Amino acid sequence: MHYRTKYFLIGLLITGVLMGCDPSKGVYTRDRVEGSESQEVEIDPNEEYVMVTTFVNFPMYVNHDQEAFHRWGRKTGVKTTVLGPSEWDVVQQIAFIEQVIPSKPAGLLINGTDPAIAGAINKAVDAGIPTVVYDSDITDSRRHAFLGTDWYEIGRLQGEAMVELIGGKGKVAYIGLIGQANMESGYQGYRDVMEKYPGIEIIGNFDSKGSTEEAARTTADLISANPDISGISGFDGMTGPGIGLAVKEAGKVGQIKVTTVDWEPEHLRLVREGVIQVLIGQKRELFTWYGAQFLYDMVHNTNMLSDDDDEAGITNVPYSVNTGLLKITAENIDLFDAPQ
Amino acid sequence: MQFSAGSLQDRVVTLAITILVLIVVSSIIWTGKFASWENLSLVLLNLSIDAIVAVGMMILLISGSFDLSVGSVVAFAGGFAAYLMYYWGVYVPVAIIAALGASLVIGLVNGLLVAYIGINPLIQTLAMMGIVRGLALMVSGSGIQNLPTHFEAFGQSVFLGLQTPVWYMLIIVGVFSFLVARTVFFRRYYYIGGNEKAAALSGIRVKRMKVYSFILMSGLAGFAGVVLAGRLGAAMPTTGQGMELRVITAVILGGASLLGGQGKIAGALLGTIFMGLVANIMILARISGYWQQIILGVILILAVASDILMKRRGGVTAKQYLTKTTGIKN
Repeated sequence: MHYRTKYFLIGLLITGVLMGCDPSKGVYTRDRVEGSESQEVEIDPNEEYVMVTTFVNFPMYVNHDQEAFHRWGRKTGVKTTVLGPSEWDVVQQIAFIEQVIPSKPAGLLINGTDPAIAGAINKAVDAGIPTVVYDSDITDSRRHAFLGTDWYEIGRLQGEAMVELIGGKGKVAYIGLIGQANMESGYQGYRDVMEKYPGIEIIGNFDSKGSTEEAARTTADLISANPDISGISGFDGMTGPGIGLAVKEAGKVGQIKVTTVDWEPEHLRLVREGVIQVLIGQKRELFTWYGAQFLYDMVHNTNMLSDDDDEAGITNVPYSVNTGLLKITAENIDLFDAPQ
Repeated sequence: MQFSAGSLQDRVVTLAITILVLIVVSSIIWTGKFASWENLSLVLLNLSIDAIVAVGMMILLISGSFDLSVGSVVAFAGGFAAYLMYYWGVYVPVAIIAALGASLVIGLVNGLLVAYIGINPLIQTLAMMGIVRGLALMVSGSGIQNLPTHFEAFGQSVFLGLQTPVWYMLIIVGVFSFLVARTVFFRRYYYIGGNEKAAALSGIRVKRMKVYSFILMSGLAGFAGVVLAGRLGAAMPTTGQGMELRVITAVILGGASLLGGQGKIAGALLGTIFMGLVANIMILARISGYWQQIILGVILILAVASDILMKRRGGVTAKQYLTKTTGIKN
């Protein structure tokens, strides 16, 4: 054998042995990589993922939930559709869910507005449609996955922030939608914190009716009836600006402490003006981005946990995800709303 | 009297033809999706509650009145029945009867104040809408779930492929179609709606008849509320919001007039079916929620405009129309 050929063969052998010793080139790993490559995802632009919510035109839903959902669709190359009534109407949302089922979308992303939608969710699951619930969990349903926040925690965090702001004593009130399951849970969290402080008196729970004007009117009445009120908390997206307006008009900015949920531009502006001291925000973009991704992963069996997950009764995405909350104050507002 | 059998017949027939065209066109566009039993049975299910309420609203509109508190009564009745069953352990039939009884009382109050005190129906039922919504919030709180299985069966059982609310709707429409068309008692409402004074002069006890119509309206709304709570397996204080507008739109589309004196129960059903089909088509066409309000608003304008134009043909001026429908004189 020619000496060059001999050296080449020896070099080849050494390279092969070294490659075999590389842990990242193990047999098992190589098979998985090859397997993934062979399952190169072929994206069908007509593959449709449908979000069903209520109050479909609500700015917070449009700016956060729907924006992230559509952005995910563009990035993934699939079709995304948002459906639902334009008012806060859970019965109509149920009608939308039920009537979208026969058109067999690839996946359904449903805003968990009320436990009463459980039956409609179960119908979608029974029809074989991957179904993910976001925002508030519908525990009585057989949804495949849930992403959202704990509303009790929203109330607890607001309560703790308020206690700190008013120094553990004084009169407080809270305003939000009455009769809505998730918010009632938030009120409970708020009350549980306040009950630990004997110096704090809860004046009451007032209905915003989902309207900034109603929240402003209620706050003005509260201030008139209780000039010594120390703090007011808001629990729905429209309430914060209403409380802020009434506090400004009463000339009590800074004297009456305000905490509220959500972080829309008007909320951030009120924090900058010193009218609202603390915002407790949900990471809503994560609900719908990862919710849609979960649906996609279920449809495409991205992570197979068995030879046949359906037959094994396995859902190959997380069952429940708490996306957590964020707290915005005057100290960190520039990170969320950079000054122009 | 303003009743015009010919024009009414035209409107019911026109609506029926429109519905037929919608069905045929939609079946062609969404082959296999629209005309499936699964889809159409769900359309019927989702319009059944509105249709039950629409029957009562049609009778009220025939008599020249309307009721804005129906959505609140729907929420209250379901909530009250659920409250009795969940917190007090009351038997299902007793809870249902109690909820219906409470609804009838609401109708009685509405009827007495409108007929005997002379409060305009718009103002009376608007005020009652708020009062009853408050009661619904009091009894339902954040919603009541885990209701007795028998109660859920009341709204969730399936018979011959259709869920019970659809059967209730069909029975109520059938019974009231017969009663309104064939009995002297219900025919009196056409006379009252056509010309109240003439009806009174002819010996009809107008005030008492008005009270009965409001009681019937609330009774049907209460029944719809109980059925809805059974169907959902839960009572929500927010149910029925905006229902009054939907139902009045459907009933006017179905041939009723805000002037009173005309309409048929079949028209109420057809109007509701038309609204249900439009909603279903918007879902199949994936029409954004932004457009829904616009489309429903346009449908309402078309319905009322056609009503005015038909009246104008019948010799009623726009001023007379406004005076009669709003009760405002200038």
